[in-house]
Amino acid sequence: MTAEQDASDVDLVRRIKRGDDEAFREMVDRYHARVYSLSYGVLHNREDAEEATQDSFLTLYRKIGTFDESKKFFSWFYRVALNAAYSRARRRRPLRTVSLDDYVPNLGGDGHALSPEFAAFVEGAEDGAVARDLAEKAEGFIAELPETYRDVIWMVDVEEMSPADVAETLEISIAALKSRLHRARLYVRQRLAAIAAPAQTGAGARRAAP
Amino acid sequence: MKTHDEMSCRRLILESLVEYEDGSMPEPERRVFEQHLSHCPPCVVFLKSYQATGRTLRMLKPREIPKNLAEAVMRFVRERCEKKP
Repeated sequence: MTAEQDASDVDLVRRIKRGDDEAFREMVDRYHARVYSLSYGVLHNREDAEEATQDSFLTLYRKIGTFDESKKFFSWFYRVALNAAYSRARRRRPLRTVSLDDYVPNLGGDGHALSPEFAAFVEGAEDGAVARDLAEKAEGFIAELPETYRDVIWMVDVEEMSPADVAETLEISIAALKSRLHRARLYVRQRLAAIAAPAQTGAGARRAAP
Repeated sequence: MKTHDEMSCRRLILESLVEYEDGSMPEPERRVFEQHLSHCPPCVVFLKSYQATGRTLRMLKPREIPKNLAEAVMRFVRERCEKKP
C-alpha cells in the first residue's frame, strides 16, 4: 500500500466523517472488491463473502469516527473486514482444523524429507490444467488451517499483499508473520504434493486423448 | 562440503526460504544460499516445490467479484442507517 494511497484514504475518511455521502460511495468503489476477496479467504463461499462485505461497510459507516487518522486506514478496515468474516464463520459449524506440527518437514541431520511426489508436484504445477485442479484443492487445504495461519497465507500468497502490510493489519511482528507463513506454506505444499501424482496422471491421459 | 557447513539444508528449508522468496534476504546470505543450491539437488527440488505452491495459490484469487456488489453494499448500508449515505 503506497503513501499516496494512504493519504487519499485519509482524505476520504475525513469527508465521510463530515457526512459526505459521495465520499462513502467512493470508498465502497475503492475497497469492495478487496474486502470481498479477503472475506472469501475466510469463508470460501460467495454468498457468505458478499454478506460479510456488506457487514464490513456497515461497520465502517458506523464506526468511522473511532478511526485514528495517525494509523493506516487499510489496516484498520481490513481488521474490520476480518472480524466481520469470522463473525459470520462462527455462526456456521466450525471446520475441523489440522495440527501443523504433523506437517513440519522431518529432516534428520542434513537429510532431505523428499519423496517422488514433490518432483511430480513441481512438474504438474507447470501444466495449466493440472495447476487449476491443484489450485481448487489448495483452497480446501487452506480452509483446514487454523485461523492465524489461514489469514496469513491468504493475504500474502493469494491476495499478494506485502508481508509488512499483512503484519500491520494483523498487529503481529514481521518475524511472527514469516514463521506462520512458512508453516502454512509447508502444510499446503505437502498436501498438494500428496495428490500431485494422480492429478498428473489425469493430465497425461487428457493430453493423450484424441 | 564447505557450502553445506555454512548453510545446512535444515536451516535453508526451515528458516531461510521465506526471506529468499520475498527478496528480503541480505545479499551476502543470498550468495551463500544460492551456492548451497548449486551443490544440493534435493534442496533445489524443495525450493521448486515451495515456489510451485506459491504459484498455485496465486491462481486462487477470486477473479469474479459478484455483479453489482457495490450497489448491494450501498443499499444494505442505507437500509440500516438513519442518516442515509
